[in-house]
Amino acid sequence: MIDVILHALPIAIIASTPLLLAVEGELVVQRAGMINLGIEGMMLVAAMTGVIGQQLTRSAAAGFVAGIAGAMVVAALFGVFAIRYRADQIVTGTAVNLLAAGATGFVYQALRGGALFFVPPMPEQVQRLVVLLAWLVVPAALGLLLWMSRFGLRLRAAGENPEVLAHVARYRWCALAIEALLAGTGGAFLSLALSSGFAENMTAGRGFIALSIVIFGRWNVRGAIIGTALFGIAAALQYTLQAMNIGLPYHLLLALPYVVTLLILCGIAGRVRAPEALGR
Amino acid sequence: MRQLAAALLAVVLLSLCALAVGRSPVELLRILTLGSVGSRFAIEGTLLKSIPLLLTGLSVALAFRAGVWNIGGEGQFITGAIAALIASHLGVVPAILASMLAGAVWASIATLMRLWRNAPEVLTTILLNFTAIHLLGWCVNGPLQERSAQYPQSDLAGASLPVAGELHAGIVIALAASVASWFLLYRTAAGLRLRATGLNARAAAWAGINVNAQLVRAMAISGAFAGLAGGIELLGTTHRLFERFAAGYGYSGIAVALLAQLHPLATVASAMFFGALATGAGELQRTAGISSSIAVFGQAVIILLLILFGSWRSRD
Repeated sequence: MIDVILHALPIAIIASTPLLLAVEGELVVQRAGMINLGIEGMMLVAAMTGVIGQQLTRSAAAGFVAGIAGAMVVAALFGVFAIRYRADQIVTGTAVNLLAAGATGFVYQALRGGALFFVPPMPEQVQRLVVLLAWLVVPAALGLLLWMSRFGLRLRAAGENPEVLAHVARYRWCALAIEALLAGTGGAFLSLALSSGFAENMTAGRGFIALSIVIFGRWNVRGAIIGTALFGIAAALQYTLQAMNIGLPYHLLLALPYVVTLLILCGIAGRVRAPEALGR
Repeated sequence: MRQLAAALLAVVLLSLCALAVGRSPVELLRILTLGSVGSRFAIEGTLLKSIPLLLTGLSVALAFRAGVWNIGGEGQFITGAIAALIASHLGVVPAILASMLAGAVWASIATLMRLWRNAPEVLTTILLNFTAIHLLGWCVNGPLQERSAQYPQSDLAGASLPVAGELHAGIVIALAASVASWFLLYRTAAGLRLRATGLNARAAAWAGINVNAQLVRAMAISGAFAGLAGGIELLGTTHRLFERFAAGYGYSGIAVALLAQLHPLATVASAMFFGALATGAGELQRTAGISSSIAVFGQAVIILLLILFGSWRSRD
């Protein structure tokens, strides 16, 4: 069993990098008092704009920039409704996801003729750099930013007790921008590094899994990493089990990540305290 | 009024999508209209699509009214259809009852997780959707695959709903469900308790309402309606299961319910509007090569316009 897990570990780390980036982004947003279900749509749009950017310039860096830009647009949309108009965040997030699914489906169909959706494999160094950023640099940076700076204190105040803060909207917008940066990178990594292009609904619920892990990790960075790692290993076991051909049907193996996430959500043991103003 | 304005404005905005693929918006609007209400065939198509949308819309309206975030219509729709197929060999009535039961049970998994471990239903219901989609994939490739084992689909169901022309009895069931939901919500004490919990759970608890019991009921009824939608779609329209059976009806129910302001009777009109949009979009895909996913796009635009016009904003 141990060697099965060790075998699955490198796959797990690379394959769950987009998820980890999403978890980190959603962590920041929830700390600022928002539940952004629209992160699923954010990643989906980033996966598409990332491919388009890469194909237009033949550069992986440009692909990531385009992915982040796409995620920023989706984040801005969510922000206008959830922050500016104070709309219900779950309704807004759901609408954003429908919008992203519809829009990417439309563009996919319109561009299908071209070879826009078959990207060459990403250079090994770039891939490694993003993995390193996601697993080491971003967690350290977030830890410093959120818990050791005046900005982070205020951002968290926007999520705990917005009444005491003068510019709640400003901090929530900043949180959304950070989320777009991270989730956009994750979405682009998904289509550029983990697959050879864009496919409809290719995010397959990663945004929702990310939300679940944020809760499991009790809204802190260490929990987020542990949760993602646990999930990543469980999901990678899926491939190992598939390869070992133990007789569990393929389609049931596909359901495994979602069942694991449901179990993770049920595994929130002890006292869980969400940011006080979450969702308001 | 606001709802009508949002719906019309959304259709106009949609037509501008035509410019993106180098076609005229007027032509797109013409195909959309003719394809949804322009002929007897088109109207029948629209009505057929409205039936599951009405039921999933009611499912969402009931849950949201009670303050329960059931985003799991898609999964409940699928499990309802699977149960209906299995039970269809006993007859059409057992099949329909089985679909409601399966939808309610699938939704109640989320209730259990919420009551037992405080897992938010907004996430568990979504995750159960993905689980149900793969469960369906397994069914039609495994235990429920057609006997000839040629395609990933099931054999024909053992029973089907009575038909009249192109339409089936599902329309009667869906309309009855709509009236029944209205009666439950606005004419019974149980409905008052559900609505009170949705408006302010803390105040409801102070007034002596068992809030957890309302969650259990709202989720079960909501799941039963979504399951019924799947059962009726199977027994009346598709007659067999296949991988893409759900086709987004569960998620569309959210837009249907929101446009109807969560009112069960208004949901009828809302479902017909979205049914027309989906049917018209199908025609666009066939004749103009424009992706039918603009129907999904349209649902999102309508929800956002409703927010702009003042709905779904926080009251404080």
